Amino acid sequence: MRRPFEVLLAVSAGLVLAFLLVPVVALFLRIPPGDLVSQLTSEVAVDALIVSLKTSLVAHAIVLLFGTPAAYFIATKRFRGRAAVLTMIELPLVLPPAVAGIALFAAFGRAGLLGGTLDAAGISIPFTQAAVVLAVIFVSSPFYVRLGISAFEAVDPRLIEASRTLGAGPRRTFFRVALPLAAGGLSAASALAFARGLGEFGATIMFAGSLQGVTQTLPLAIYAQLDLDFDVALALGAFLVVVTVAVLLTVKLLPSWTRFTLISLAPSARTDSS
Amino acid sequence: MTRAALALAILAALTGCGGSGTGGGDSNEQATVFAASSLPEVFPKIDPEATYNFAGSDDLATQIREGAPADVYAAASPKYPDELYAEGLVDKPEVFATNRLVLIVPKGNPAGIESVDDLRKKGVKLVIGAEGVPIGDYTRTVLENMGASDVLDQVVSEEDDVKGVVGKVSLGEADAGFVYVTDVKPVADKVTAIELPAEAQAEVKYEIAVVKDAQHHDAAHAFVEQVLGEQGQATLAAAGFGPP
Amino acid sequence: MDTLHVDLARSLRSYRLELALDVDGVVALAGPSGAGKTTVLRTIAGLARPDSGRIALGGEVWFDSASHVDCTPEERSVGLVFQDYALFPHMTVADNVAYGGGQAGELLTRFGIEPLARLKPGELSGGERQRVALARALARNPGVLLLDEPLAALDAHTRARVRGELRGILEGLALPTLVVTHSFEDAAALTDTIGVLVDGKLIQSGTAAELVAAPTTPFVADFTGANLLPGRARAAGDGLTEVILADGTLIVSTDQLSGQVGAVIHPWEVGIARSMPLDSMQNHVRGAIESLVPVANRMRIRVGPLTAEITAESAARLGLAPGEEVVASFKASGTRLIPLA
Repeated sequence: MRRPFEVLLAVSAGLVLAFLLVPVVALFLRIPPGDLVSQLTSEVAVDALIVSLKTSLVAHAIVLLFGTPAAYFIATKRFRGRAAVLTMIELPLVLPPAVAGIALFAAFGRAGLLGGTLDAAGISIPFTQAAVVLAVIFVSSPFYVRLGISAFEAVDPRLIEASRTLGAGPRRTFFRVALPLAAGGLSAASALAFARGLGEFGATIMFAGSLQGVTQTLPLAIYAQLDLDFDVALALGAFLVVVTVAVLLTVKLLPSWTRFTLISLAPSARTDSS
Repeated sequence: MTRAALALAILAALTGCGGSGTGGGDSNEQATVFAASSLPEVFPKIDPEATYNFAGSDDLATQIREGAPADVYAAASPKYPDELYAEGLVDKPEVFATNRLVLIVPKGNPAGIESVDDLRKKGVKLVIGAEGVPIGDYTRTVLENMGASDVLDQVVSEEDDVKGVVGKVSLGEADAGFVYVTDVKPVADKVTAIELPAEAQAEVKYEIAVVKDAQHHDAAHAFVEQVLGEQGQATLAAAGFGPP
Repeated sequence: MDTLHVDLARSLRSYRLELALDVDGVVALAGPSGAGKTTVLRTIAGLARPDSGRIALGGEVWFDSASHVDCTPEERSVGLVFQDYALFPHMTVADNVAYGGGQAGELLTRFGIEPLARLKPGELSGGERQRVALARALARNPGVLLLDEPLAALDAHTRARVRGELRGILEGLALPTLVVTHSFEDAAALTDTIGVLVDGKLIQSGTAAELVAAPTTPFVADFTGANLLPGRARAAGDGLTEVILADGTLIVSTDQLSGQVGAVIHPWEVGIARSMPLDSMQNHVRGAIESLVPVANRMRIRVGPLTAEITAESAARLGLAPGEEVVASFKASGTRLIPLA
């Protein structure tokens, strides 16, 4: 007879898993299987797919390009106010998306902080695809940067020092030692950030608005179609789930380099024989 | 053994009190009212005690179809209440108010819009309701009536309810938007309203109905009566709604 | 061979590190953990900055607080072998060794690790990793070699073997080399000159033999494995000094000192007998054998406060067993006195 405490632990785990899985499974059970594909070829669906793909990929590329060096810098440099910087990075994570949308307006809108400057340069951001990209970057970059910082922090600083004493400057050390060793953690961070960006709704609908073929991403299309054509909404929802799961799984199944950071501490496979 | 018993007792107590049981007429309970998003300023004035859920009329219809616990349904268009009545989900709807559309621009009028014609100016950012949302359908009707459907090319966003349109124009980010005249007063300091030709107006009828599966039948009927009654009608008129 | 001039001062948490040292051979920096030894290596390599000082290799100045010179680690011609080797786990042995530039092939062969070239560090044994780390540090043709506890990560058996190999390698390199260790035996085995670092200061330096024969402080005496008996000394005529030990025993030394002292006696200068011997040894301590420990071909015997070391032969001849009463004897001339407190 198992101890009651352990049974309780197992039951809790089971409940959490069930709660997360049941709605997803129910979603798929609701769609007649043949319909799924045909719904996805409707104009609304195709437009949404293209908008989501374009904006998510552009946003993600920017997040990776700027977020990686940022994460490395914050992870490896001691500077005053580091704790404050970390908090600022985490802020968008806890901000309600609609508030994020208003914040983006407040910054980049016509009446916003940078509105005058943008206007003078002939640039208008709200209600454009650029706005979608900005919204996605705003909500997904904290995931990437925060987790990226942890990934770089997990790299043994001794290895960085070794690289320097071997004649490699900071740049070569980053590309040949830090980045490869943090790659596992960075890919996981990237997957999470991408999935988050793909599913972004609140900030997008506020700041970029919703217009089919222009700013209507998959989540926005689902919302719009909910009352008009429930079947399309279901199909789009199911598709979004599939894509997100695929992204997350791909990262898990790719060869992981995170093993290596622990190698120096692990018992060796070969023994010293005399 | 004692701990488990205690836990069960607490659980029972929690479900025991507060639960209202199934169906029945609890005359002391408040009604849960699902109402169109052009009504949040006026309905609570008619009945401050009721529980409200404001959203686009189409969203509310979907929720009711999915079994949401509404007692009363008030929409900005006959389309959805009639559909739900045909589906046997609500009692026969009754018209309780009318409304009309106006064109609003942010105070300061950045794009210099004085009329619907001006909406054709290059680069104008127009925000309207999405198709299927009453305000969206009405807007398209009005524009068609005016022979100005080409103006739809200037749309940069299709909102899910009228408050979305109001919001974007109030923020000053959209150049213009089509809303109900009743939406102007709450944001009068942020927007200016431009009247539309009376002959181009669509027939905007608000309908209200008691939901068949209502948990608080008595309260629901009482609410509807209030809305249709003298006090309710006066309050609606004061807010700018037209008579039914 | 250029000389490495090290002159640095740095305030650490509980003491101030102050060191002035010229390295032109294989030198050991020995001492207890926390004495600042690793900090010295890191400072020379450029991974830590002293508060003031000057570090230069021959004419190349790497750090000079007076003229604000502070070269980055990659600008200094150092080869640093870390205590846990810090091999790049995601690269093969060959890539590791080649990382600093230069020809990996020749070094792989020289250190006998060519067969391991395509393996990753995680698949190597401790001794193999050490050789890879050394090869990697040397691939860059550094002007200075720094080794941090090179034998600490090895098991006892491997350690003994590697000790010998490493000595040969270091001698053959002809580079100013600084070896940091907390083990006197390792220091003695690997280097010619040993500097003892305690609480950030160099308290004595010299050859291993010099340190063993004439420790200047109790710490060095203890560190080099000599006996240290505290007591009170006073002159006793004939150029001798009497020392009353803590337990009341009276011993005599040819050194001249008074006050609180420590009597330093080397284990191999202590003879063991079953009864009081009739010879010129002047100091006798009676006691029961507390332990008998064979060390190589000798026997370490603990009698009271003293540790004696006699040949295994002698021990066998005496037929010693723990608990038996014996007399430990040592000459007055073999009793060094150093000031205590």
